[in-house]
Amino acid sequence: MTTLVVAEQQNGTLNPTTWETVALAKGIGHPVTVVVLGADIETVADELVKANVDEVLVVEDSALEFYTADGFSMALEQVIRAEDPTLVLLSHTYQARDFAPALGARLGRTLLTDCTKVEVRDGVLIFTRPMFQGKMMADVRLTGPNPHLVTFQIGAAKVDNIDLGVSSAVRRSLGVTLATDQIRQRPELPFRETKQAVDLSQAERIVAVGRGIKSEEHLDLIRKFAVAMDAELAASRPICDAGWLPMDRQVGSSGQTVAPTLYFALGISGAIQHVVGMKGARTIVAINKDPDAPVFEIADYGIVGDLFEVVPAMIKALGE
Amino acid sequence: MLVVGGGPAGMAAALHFARLQRERGGDPLTVAVLEKARDNGAHCLSGAVLDPSVLRELVPNCESLGVPLGTPVQDDRVMYFTPRKAIRFPITPPPLNNHGCYVTSLNRLVKWMADLAEKDGTHVFNGFAASELLYDGDRVVGVRTGDRGIGREGEQKSNFEPGVDIRATVTVLADGVRGNLTKTLVSRFDLSRDRLPQSYALGFKELWHVPPGRLTPGTVIHTLGHPLRFEEFGGGFLYALSAEEISVGFVVGLDYRDPLFDPHEAFQRFKMHPFVSSLLSAGQMTRYGAKALPEGGWHAIPKPYVDGAIIVGDAAGFVNSLRLKGIHLAMRTGMYAAEAAFEAVRANDPSAGQLSKFQELVDNGAVRHELYPVRNVHQSFAYGLPAGLIYAGLSLITKGWWMQDPMLAKAGHERLATVNGYYGQETPEMSSLKVDRSLTFDRLTNVHYSGTRHSEDQPSHLLVHDTDICRTRCRTEYRNPCLRFCPANVYEMVDADDGTGPRLQINASNCVHCKTCDIMDPYQIIDWVPPEGGGGPDYEGM
Repeated sequence: MTTLVVAEQQNGTLNPTTWETVALAKGIGHPVTVVVLGADIETVADELVKANVDEVLVVEDSALEFYTADGFSMALEQVIRAEDPTLVLLSHTYQARDFAPALGARLGRTLLTDCTKVEVRDGVLIFTRPMFQGKMMADVRLTGPNPHLVTFQIGAAKVDNIDLGVSSAVRRSLGVTLATDQIRQRPELPFRETKQAVDLSQAERIVAVGRGIKSEEHLDLIRKFAVAMDAELAASRPICDAGWLPMDRQVGSSGQTVAPTLYFALGISGAIQHVVGMKGARTIVAINKDPDAPVFEIADYGIVGDLFEVVPAMIKALGE
Repeated sequence: MLVVGGGPAGMAAALHFARLQRERGGDPLTVAVLEKARDNGAHCLSGAVLDPSVLRELVPNCESLGVPLGTPVQDDRVMYFTPRKAIRFPITPPPLNNHGCYVTSLNRLVKWMADLAEKDGTHVFNGFAASELLYDGDRVVGVRTGDRGIGREGEQKSNFEPGVDIRATVTVLADGVRGNLTKTLVSRFDLSRDRLPQSYALGFKELWHVPPGRLTPGTVIHTLGHPLRFEEFGGGFLYALSAEEISVGFVVGLDYRDPLFDPHEAFQRFKMHPFVSSLLSAGQMTRYGAKALPEGGWHAIPKPYVDGAIIVGDAAGFVNSLRLKGIHLAMRTGMYAAEAAFEAVRANDPSAGQLSKFQELVDNGAVRHELYPVRNVHQSFAYGLPAGLIYAGLSLITKGWWMQDPMLAKAGHERLATVNGYYGQETPEMSSLKVDRSLTFDRLTNVHYSGTRHSEDQPSHLLVHDTDICRTRCRTEYRNPCLRFCPANVYEMVDADDGTGPRLQINASNCVHCKTCDIMDPYQIIDWVPPEGGGGPDYEGM
């Protein structure tokens, strides 16, 4: 009766969610073995050995230097067949989501994903996992032959009950045979998000545009104005609905709530759905053709006029 | 037993089923209720004046269990509005005598029923919409819930989860007025054969917070006349829930002929009548809602049972349009369905023959007794308000007899005339009412007060099968009546970017689930299907 925890590391750095999975494994009460895969993973292994588990398995192979679904599932299949644990636990990370189903299929064993809790009830392990986007929680008892594979949601356990610094674990190396021609994926450099997500709630100034701009091509004019004002660009719902601007630039009841010092509402009628998202702005300037537009009720400064005349004039004035 | 729809009918079915189990014993049975609203009762909207008789039969000790019945009716008035005056009927017509009834929040009542049902062991799954019926041959064997996590273009998002199949011996359809499952069931088995087409009305309601002393709590006022013409069926209501809270509403028959008629505007004009505006002045609108209701009565109820399923409440059309009440009939038919389902499950025979017990209970009990004598009342209003009133009055003496019985009726969308057909060659200028945003409101502002929310990134749940018709035929023939009959600004015609003229824009996330478009669209090309479970209005306290 052993529990095998699959650690996750990248470039020699342990993913901290591994500690959560270790904590959950220890809570079950059986001996815990942690397996770590990769190339050049000495420091990670050193770290894991201190974690008061029973054993740390180190699987080093140059074919495991970069993560691939084929490489990891092949390697882990061999480890699991050799060690024959009763339970294999993983963190429900993007990586585990990628290879765990294949691993389960290779072993012909059950995989239970995204659990939030495990407990022993009348000597039986009961796992809890959300269903229907978290509307319900299901208690699951696993049947069928061992080992069972289970992934845990990030945050499923508190990690403060891990005693670090007690070097009690046995460290063991384990070799695997990997036929590199069977690894079908070719890893590329990891993707990095370059664009910062817009956080309109922090913006000092916002230029928001509504249906009054009529067509997508006129957005350029508004962009120019926003640059001239050193302001973030935002929009009311019809603009984002039409796909002219991304959803994260939408202000209002189904978008963001903002409170800049200066808010320009251009061609926005001022429907309450928009107003609830921006009425906290200190100064509101509205430009609209319709003198009865409700936006003028909340505006500090209102210009009744065609934004295609007013905005270019303002850009010009700002340039001077 | 599986109940689709957690309104008064569905909850009554669940409560009564649990009670039958307690009283008659035997192997424990499972009851589940599927409700598309996130919170129980959140999609329930009614006036509401409740006849509590059935509730007291359903839960005899309901008062000691703290049922939120609301305010007892103290005073009944019926008024006729001219554009400036309000004339009180010298006597309150007997069907509108609400002595012993309560001014109720249906939302609170249903929430209370749901809590009670859960304590009884019923599984109430809220936030789940039933998207289709499951069949074994021609027998209904359960429902499939809607998929979750589908993106706007129909793609599976990272949180995609397919719907689940829920199987049951008996499925009770309590999916409300123009329920999406009932609609498919009725058409598959032609259950409306030899029946009149269902007639509907659209009801608006606002809750107002007013300075104290405007109306005595428990006052119930119904109005006829202005702003409607003789040719339009409908009227207004004012119910005083407390000294400072008034429920203001307006009901319009969805069988008007004038294609330019605007029900939402009629509601605004009702509030502008001096009698109403003086009651609301210096007050504040706090909530808004709109919902269709069935009006056709006895002859429009489809055959309410098939192999494996029973249709109850508003879904089948059990509403007394003379008394303006349906909640008690919803509960009553829910109880009947529970009775029929319980026996069918115990006999292990969910066949239509066994479930016809439901029809027997309806025919031999209080439901037929109440509905049959008023069977032609709504239809008689098709001949105008005076004719309708005279017939409604006569029916109290004649028990509904008429030379032609059933009095014939046309589906509402077929009565709608084209602009040319109604106005001749002189088509009028379109003008819309200018709202002041304190007494009167535009649709968009009103929708905000309905608490409506949907996940924005999902496909439109309003399927318009041919949007070309909207920009071509419908534009010239009817001038896009959807812009006017939708109470939530879901439909808009906006100028296309490419200069080809206006195109239909569907703001599906504004939808308050009233079903009017599905009912009233003259080409019958709009299909209302449930959006992702949990979306929709939030009629808390309504």
